[in-house]
Amino acid sequence: MNLKQKKPYLKKKYQYGTSLIFIIFFVWILLSGCSSTLTPTASPTPINITSAPTITALTANSEKIVTIALTQEPKSLNRSYSSSWSTSILTNIYSCWPWIYDEANVVHPYLLIEMPTVSDDGLVVTMKLRDDIKWSDNTPITADDFIFTQEMITNPANTVYSVYPYDLFMITAPDPQTVVMTFDEVFVSWMSNLWSGTLMPKHILQPVFDAAGTLDTAEWNRAPTVGCGPFNFTKWESGSYLRFDKNPNFWGPAPKLDAIVFQFVPDDAAQTAACLAGETDICYLPRYEDMETFKKAGLNIVFEPSGYNEGWFFNFRDMASPGIRDLNVRKAIAMGLNRQSNTSLRMNLVEVNETFWDGLPQYVDPSIVPYKYDPEAAKALLESSGYKDINNDGIREDKDGNPLIITQGVLESPERQKYQQLAQQQMKAIGIDLQTSSYNYDTLFASFTDGGPAAVGALDIMQWSDLPAFPDPDSSYWLCDQIQTDSNPYGFNYFGCDKTLDKLFAQQSVAADPVEQQHIFWQITKYMHDNVLYLGIWEDGDIWVVSPHLTGYKFSVVTPFFNIPEWDVTK
Amino acid sequence: MGRYIIRRLLQAIPLLLIISIAIFGLLQSSGDPLATMGGKRVTRSEDRARLARILGLDQPIYIQYIYWLVGNDWVKLDIDQDGIMDSYGQRKGVIRGDFGNSLVARGQSAMDLIMERIPNTLILMIPAEIIILLFSLLVGIISALRQYSLTDQLITTGSFIGYSMPILFIALASMYIFAVNFRKWGLPYLPTVGMFDPKIGKTTGQVLIHMVLPIFSMSVVSISGYSRFVRSQMLEVISQDYIRTAYAKGLSERMVLFGHALKNAAIPFVTLVGIDIPFLLGGAVITETIFGWPGMGRLFIDHLTRFDTPVVMGILMLISLAVVICQLLTDIVYGWLDPRIRYT
Repeated sequence: MNLKQKKPYLKKKYQYGTSLIFIIFFVWILLSGCSSTLTPTASPTPINITSAPTITALTANSEKIVTIALTQEPKSLNRSYSSSWSTSILTNIYSCWPWIYDEANVVHPYLLIEMPTVSDDGLVVTMKLRDDIKWSDNTPITADDFIFTQEMITNPANTVYSVYPYDLFMITAPDPQTVVMTFDEVFVSWMSNLWSGTLMPKHILQPVFDAAGTLDTAEWNRAPTVGCGPFNFTKWESGSYLRFDKNPNFWGPAPKLDAIVFQFVPDDAAQTAACLAGETDICYLPRYEDMETFKKAGLNIVFEPSGYNEGWFFNFRDMASPGIRDLNVRKAIAMGLNRQSNTSLRMNLVEVNETFWDGLPQYVDPSIVPYKYDPEAAKALLESSGYKDINNDGIREDKDGNPLIITQGVLESPERQKYQQLAQQQMKAIGIDLQTSSYNYDTLFASFTDGGPAAVGALDIMQWSDLPAFPDPDSSYWLCDQIQTDSNPYGFNYFGCDKTLDKLFAQQSVAADPVEQQHIFWQITKYMHDNVLYLGIWEDGDIWVVSPHLTGYKFSVVTPFFNIPEWDVTK
Repeated sequence: MGRYIIRRLLQAIPLLLIISIAIFGLLQSSGDPLATMGGKRVTRSEDRARLARILGLDQPIYIQYIYWLVGNDWVKLDIDQDGIMDSYGQRKGVIRGDFGNSLVARGQSAMDLIMERIPNTLILMIPAEIIILLFSLLVGIISALRQYSLTDQLITTGSFIGYSMPILFIALASMYIFAVNFRKWGLPYLPTVGMFDPKIGKTTGQVLIHMVLPIFSMSVVSISGYSRFVRSQMLEVISQDYIRTAYAKGLSERMVLFGHALKNAAIPFVTLVGIDIPFLLGGAVITETIFGWPGMGRLFIDHLTRFDTPVVMGILMLISLAVVICQLLTDIVYGWLDPRIRYT
């Protein structure tokens, strides 16, 4: 009886449940059809754009498409708005530089007839544009585009990430093919700091700026449908991928590929899996421990010196420990650290660098003799400075009985923390107590006002990977006026003021003659090496893992995809 | 009931306000969004000052919070840095639906960024949650009904193994087994990363096949935990007198279990699910990161690490709102499940 009464009730409930499941499934199917993609849409101004049409359904078909894994998604495709490396490397695809760097980092004119000329006093740099260069909508690229770009970058209405060094010169155009930049002071590193994918199409963006009063909200920043590179922007699906299709109006050699897709794979291990599974054709900066796996899978590995070097920066400011300010102690550290052996953390695939400028070997004094691992010589140096192990605890003390403690901090990463463990053991072997710590970027580089450990000089040695104004050798790190203080809370110098070094850096910054600049850098590198103000850990180059089906590829450090029109696929 | 719901909703307003103040304060003190804007270099002091002024980060925290809440279109600002407060701000504030623009992806509305990702997250999380709930109930009930049997022992062992494994490990292991190695061994294989193959496009089939591994990874951990909970609740309920009475009345086992036992055992489970559901909006940070799923979890981490207050605040406030609503719904469901509960 009861059962009979309950059954219809149960049936009704089950019917509701089934309906609910169907509704959920239906909503889900609807959601899966929702597109959050950014596709080219009509410009807000009546401008004829003859770029590639919007692609609504991407199909592989017989198209030649190369997929590249990127662990970082760019936040903008307007180079002036994003300093991230992902935006930087993409600019070779859809944008164009006046000059490009090949796989040997040799510079070549690109938009120019020849490399820019510099006046005798070093103040005027003149660029002569080719007369056949054009935007992807067939509008010629002229000097006006360069002038407009400089105006936009320096305009306070636009929140570009840096106005430097576009605020250092005045720009004029005697004719549509000539750009003249006049600096107030000699600015030697113009080549590595200017026009690095920043060029903006005036005919597209001027109306946008006039209407909105800023470029911040310009659709072009995320959908640069009109570009000047070999490929055109086609689609950006947030969090998923970016697609660029062949630019049919490209003024240079026609690309052999039909499209380039950049797929965002934030996790390193997943990037490796995607490359091994053949879902992506190129992986950038994979983990060193995966190299053997890649080789076994038949993938090609390309190492490219990047200018980045991992190194120990020594603090020689007054607040540093007395030990680290003693040259013999610094030399003992250089000889007590088994840098070659420690490259095992990177499967012995990297070279130890000797100076901050090893990525630019022409600027390194050829007479520099690398510090060899020699713990006995290191101990002797410490002895000569009066550091002896008085209480037999394995750590040396100075003549007043103070233990030789050196503090060392790294920009956090598991690899660096492993390096710290090795370094601790090696320093202990020569009688130094290396006390280590690890910080995230924001903490380590917090300002002087906020008590950042680097800024206030709380660490004797700091470790991270860095480079000069590559490919220019300039660096602000050791300039005396860049030391962080209350009145200069955001300076670049965390290490100390050395008058000799400061003078040499000042000289090179106005050395218009490249040979003169090179010789000054020889003095700088020699001086810093002899005084152990910087100790190289290893060269931190770029690594590209490439599918065997890809041909014709070359990679450069500054302009990684410089020869992308020549890339092809065999399958 | 109606008055109860209205009262709870009104109570939520000051609660959300307090939450927003707390989160805003925590975010402001956790890091400097300007520090990493210079890219490979520490941001130059001139650029720092310029960006801080334009983005409003040079204002005291309480002013920044007020602008975030009510906007700044009633205040004159010195946008062009000429020393004259000559133009009104453009922000309308959260109370007028404007969460502000992202500090990192400048010029883009925080809410647009969030709304781009919400469908992707729900596509992944709703099926995952349904699978987790269904299998948790199924496994938990079977385990309870066959207490101390071989099946129960196997389920218990499996649950402990599944629950002890970090999702990171499960995700990567499943990716290497079912995507990389299956392909190598010539077996049918699954894709490794993404929501679909960009070369093929966002078709339903592509999305479905790309969902398998992320959902599998999330489900293993959650089912292992929840099924233990269901098992213990069921064991407690089926030993109650009213269950024995139901059997004595001649009801079928199915009716006793589903009509009486499960309904009562489900009350604490509903609490857990009620807590879980709002966090569906937040996505699954680890799973989305490993599988390259373009959801809210990844958006949150991307912007949190750069201290992008408008986007992070937008995500957290949405979740907070969802928590408030889901807690209210949970209470209503309690009333349905347990007639002894009455809201006035």
